[in-house]
Amino acid sequence: MILSWRRASTLSIVLLLGGLASTAQAENEFSREQLEVMAGGCASCHGTDGRLAGAVPAIAGRPASLLESRMLAFKADEVEDTTVMNRIAKGFSDEELAALARHFAENPGPQGDVP
Amino acid sequence: MSQHDDRTRHTRRPGLTRRQLLQGMGAASTLPLLGGIAPFAIANGSAGRVVVIGGGFGGATAAKYLKRANPAIEVTLVEPAEVFYTCPFSNLFLGGLRDMRSIAHGYDELRDRYGVRVVHSLAEDVDPDGHRVHLANGETLAYDRLVLSPGIDFRWNGLEGYDEAAAELAPHAWKAGAQSELLRRQLEAMDDGGTFVMVAPENPYRCPPGPYERASLVAHYFSQHKPNSKVLILDAKDSFSKQGLFTAGWERLYGDRIEWVGLSDDGRVTRVDAENLEVETEFGTRHRADVLNVIPPQKAGFIAERAGVTDDSGWVPVKPATFESERVRDVYVVGDATVAAPMPKSGFCANNQAKVVAAAIAAELSGRSAPEPYWTNTCYSLIGPEYGISVAGVYRVQEGVIAEVEGAGGLSPADAPDHIRALEAEYAVGWYNAICQDTWGTSV
Ligand SMILES: Cc1cc2nc3c(=O)[nH]c(=O)nc-3n(C[C@H](O)[C@H](O)[C@H](O)COP(=O)(O)OP(=O)(O)OC[C@H]3O[C@@H](n4cnc5c(N)ncnc54)[C@H](O)[C@@H]3O)c2cc1C
Repeated sequence: MILSWRRASTLSIVLLLGGLASTAQAENEFSREQLEVMAGGCASCHGTDGRLAGAVPAIAGRPASLLESRMLAFKADEVEDTTVMNRIAKGFSDEELAALARHFAENPGPQGDVP
Repeated sequence: MSQHDDRTRHTRRPGLTRRQLLQGMGAASTLPLLGGIAPFAIANGSAGRVVVIGGGFGGATAAKYLKRANPAIEVTLVEPAEVFYTCPFSNLFLGGLRDMRSIAHGYDELRDRYGVRVVHSLAEDVDPDGHRVHLANGETLAYDRLVLSPGIDFRWNGLEGYDEAAAELAPHAWKAGAQSELLRRQLEAMDDGGTFVMVAPENPYRCPPGPYERASLVAHYFSQHKPNSKVLILDAKDSFSKQGLFTAGWERLYGDRIEWVGLSDDGRVTRVDAENLEVETEFGTRHRADVLNVIPPQKAGFIAERAGVTDDSGWVPVKPATFESERVRDVYVVGDATVAAPMPKSGFCANNQAKVVAAAIAAELSGRSAPEPYWTNTCYSLIGPEYGISVAGVYRVQEGVIAEVEGAGGLSPADAPDHIRALEAEYAVGWYNAICQDTWGTSV
């Protein structure tokens, strides 16, 4: 199935509602140090802590469920016009993607606004 | 933004426990004593001394991420230049699409925001037994851990006739800066109808797709300003990175302006006559250039050899999980200097390797074990200003060696439509801005 960006976002909002409940439970699966290293590659395109907005969007401070569902959709080749995120997301397990999503959701967004 | 502001923001971060916060702030004194030995740091309030040699992609990132992991670590960064010009996007400068200022980065943020001590000098020697580094300015630095990210040096005369003097006539421009400006001036001065000849090296070398991106952007410049001029690549290899994508892009944008001659077709140059802008190949064919760009054979930066970490190949073997030298204790090496295949010698990889090393050193200095390494790479190449391609990879340690995660990574699709090539060109710019922000921080 190929989803357009818009469909994928709508889907994300639906998932957001269901996703909140599960956010807390897997919190300590990876140590903070481990998450910093796992997230190291993300910063090379999204800026330190995922906070740089530009041609490549900032990922910090977005809802975890939205980030997670978006990365899973990339991994499944379900996002139309993807260039590189499908190739990257396939390098991580679903659990790792979920942990990364929570990690970036906790970082303040580009303007320093706490989500 | 000052360091103070940054900390204030961090303390407001929701969901961060006091313990995590203390760890993040490197409160060494709250750590338990390990095996009865106090971390040496406690006595003087420091969590250890780390010297980083080289302020490029690997070194600047390592310095910053060490301080992020634990501000109590004393980090000294040694780099002779006050301004660092990136090789990434220097090909856009050669193609007339950027100025040098836009690829220049400094060390203010590392110093002012992260508290890195920056010393603008050359490291001349390393005494690994005494844990000391000797600088050209006469200073001696003591370290508990040393990080080397010296990039590459050239094997002068490794290709007959190509030495430092020859590089003033036939530039390599494989370290960005004055060499890039020299090559650009030569391209501008060249009469229309001339030939730009590039000598491409065998593997391994810095930035596998770099020569072909350069050929593309010189062809772009010619197509705009010198329509009768040609690009000839003489290659010591029979295949190269993203070859199919480059070849298709060249045909699409530049017709037959770019000619590539591989090893099997007598492409390997064995002698350079820089004064006459002439090169000779293995089987005696001579090519005359109007502008000659020689990318010479390479090795790890000389300080790696001084530290005793290189092997016979001239590069540095490292332990996969931490990038600590296989040969010398307490010396970590990242970036182009290392043998890290299947990771390429890219700025992206240097940046990612540095983060793994910073985390490993910070953990070790506090008596904890290093986190599992994760590395990613994406190398963008611009064939034209609106035509980008990429190759990506995700890497982990598997069975004791660095391995590419199966099923991940790979090339841009061969059949992508124009709007995808245009998107990749846009993302290449986004990537450049982000990695420079993440490494030096001068753009934010
Ligand atoms: C034309 C071109 C295009 C490229 N494009 C890309 C790209 O698009 N994407 C990408 O990811 N990579 C690209 N690269 C590759 C990238 O430039 C390198 O992989 C990257 O610079 C490696 O980082 P490093 O830290 O190992 O070395 P460098 O970034 O070169 O840093 C080394 C630093 O160490 C300093 N140094 C050396 N010896 C000493 C000493 N003894 N004492 C003190 N300081 C010392 C040097 O002055 C230098 O500043 C490109 C390269 C080229 C040539």
